[in-house]
Amino acid sequence: MRLRKLTLRHFRNVGFAALEFSGRQHFLVGANGHGKTSLLEAAGFITALRSFRTSEQKQLVMLAQHTAAISCAVEHEQQGDTQLTIKLRHGDKELWCDQTRVTRLADHLGKFPTVVFSSQDLQLVRGSPAGRRRWLDLTLAAMDAGYFRALQTFTRALAERNALLKSGRPADQELAAFEQTLAPAAATLIELRRSGLQVLAKSLEASYAKLCDGAEPAGVGYDPNFEEADADALLARLEAGRARDVQFRTTLVGPHRDDFHFTVKHTAAKEFGSEGQQRSLVLALRLAQAAWFHAKSGVRPVLLCDDVLGELDPARRRRFWSAIDHESQVIATGTSLPATAGQPDGELGTWQVFRVADGDFAEEVAAAEAPA
Amino acid sequence: MTPAFDKLQQHLKQLPGLGYRSSERIALHLLVEKPARLPALVVALEEAARSVRRCACCGNLAEGEHCAICADERRDRSVVCVVEQVPDLVAIERSASFRGAYHVLHGKLSPIHGVGPDDLNLAALRARVESGEIAELILALSNDVEGEATCHYLTEHLPGGRPVKVTRIGFGLPSGGGVLYADSVTLKSALDSRRVYS
Repeated sequence: MRLRKLTLRHFRNVGFAALEFSGRQHFLVGANGHGKTSLLEAAGFITALRSFRTSEQKQLVMLAQHTAAISCAVEHEQQGDTQLTIKLRHGDKELWCDQTRVTRLADHLGKFPTVVFSSQDLQLVRGSPAGRRRWLDLTLAAMDAGYFRALQTFTRALAERNALLKSGRPADQELAAFEQTLAPAAATLIELRRSGLQVLAKSLEASYAKLCDGAEPAGVGYDPNFEEADADALLARLEAGRARDVQFRTTLVGPHRDDFHFTVKHTAAKEFGSEGQQRSLVLALRLAQAAWFHAKSGVRPVLLCDDVLGELDPARRRRFWSAIDHESQVIATGTSLPATAGQPDGELGTWQVFRVADGDFAEEVAAAEAPA
Repeated sequence: MTPAFDKLQQHLKQLPGLGYRSSERIALHLLVEKPARLPALVVALEEAARSVRRCACCGNLAEGEHCAICADERRDRSVVCVVEQVPDLVAIERSASFRGAYHVLHGKLSPIHGVGPDDLNLAALRARVESGEIAELILALSNDVEGEATCHYLTEHLPGGRPVKVTRIGFGLPSGGGVLYADSVTLKSALDSRRVYS
């Protein structure tokens, strides 16, 4: 998939911008706070109608404005040339695909894959399990309608069961009624998370080896809260745990408490990994995500690199570029063109450069140097 | 505008489906544009409030002890279709494809919205099953988490000793619709509930 045109209106701090992308590699350069990340955020928004920076949709609409709009022309391997338009109002979003309104997220999810590399990604290694679960859910649900359906059912059934536990008057039969729908959905999630993470782990290992020149083995491992992907076993466990659940007023067992961990040289990267190892791990994870999207859908995701490369040493930067798929479109940002910092990389070919200032994006016609 | 007008608008706005603008429009219509309609509306409201109640047997709207369907001798009372709300019953009636009786639960289990088994019209259903008049229960509740939980709760709590066949309505493609435009969830349930073609 390639983005050919991207138009923003009243999106964050960008009043209006219309960019035409040519070629495969695009670099947005400018000082902080001028709209580079907002543009990547808009490009990433088309995948799941979610921002990688915030869950508060209000923040996406420019101050003192009512509506924001993202519009893009996409060159798509399967659907040909497609026009996507997203309108954001406070608390409401509308998606139009070639003049047809799309009302169900399930019909759209995963068709237009993008992968964001952001400095916030470090939180995937260091942060709380909730962030990792969110990443895993988005990655798996985007490519598997069955996973998405199970996740929706599970989330709803869990919310109902927890509401019942909080009400202080939970009858066993009522808890049982919701467990009946909760357990099969939970078993599906456990099974698909396990098999999905196995594939992602292999791919991460390969990417990490490329980033670090094969010096050390890396991996991810699944830590399920309930081991068995079996609805009957979970039903029995939920039934046995009811008294405790009532006491704690919440459901204590299930995939909503799953986690996964990163390892480098077979030790936990969260506790023992160096800064550089952790950074390489999240880059490798994002590369694995991109490979997963491509393998599952046959569509090459657009890679959106938000100022991540500035933090890497030149050797790793070079290895990062050689690790990515050379057919994928890349839109990267940075405060300066790395080339001017004295590290041009001849292998990269030509970049299309946009200078960003005050929400204004100007294409630099003469730019032929390559950022590394 | 005026205190009395504002009060009327406030009351209208609390009705389901009415917002600020539509309640204002209705209030203006009744008081200024077509005041002649008002007395008839007031009478109709009072009369309905006096006479409309729940059918003692099935929970449908009734003016006497029983609703028109329960009172109809030609209906097959041994097959009972369980629905969430009265409009669901009306929709099935409009299809003219069902000649049995109904049971309206007036909701579905949803702890999030504070709806428990005591809020549903379940006791009357149990009494009907106990009386032995029911041979088949058709569960025509929505197929979301709450609808499924209600179906499960309901079947687990039927009185024992009475063999009742419990069925669930099918979920699949809309009539006259093609496979192409159906969403993936609908297609899955349509495939799951496929049947032998003969």
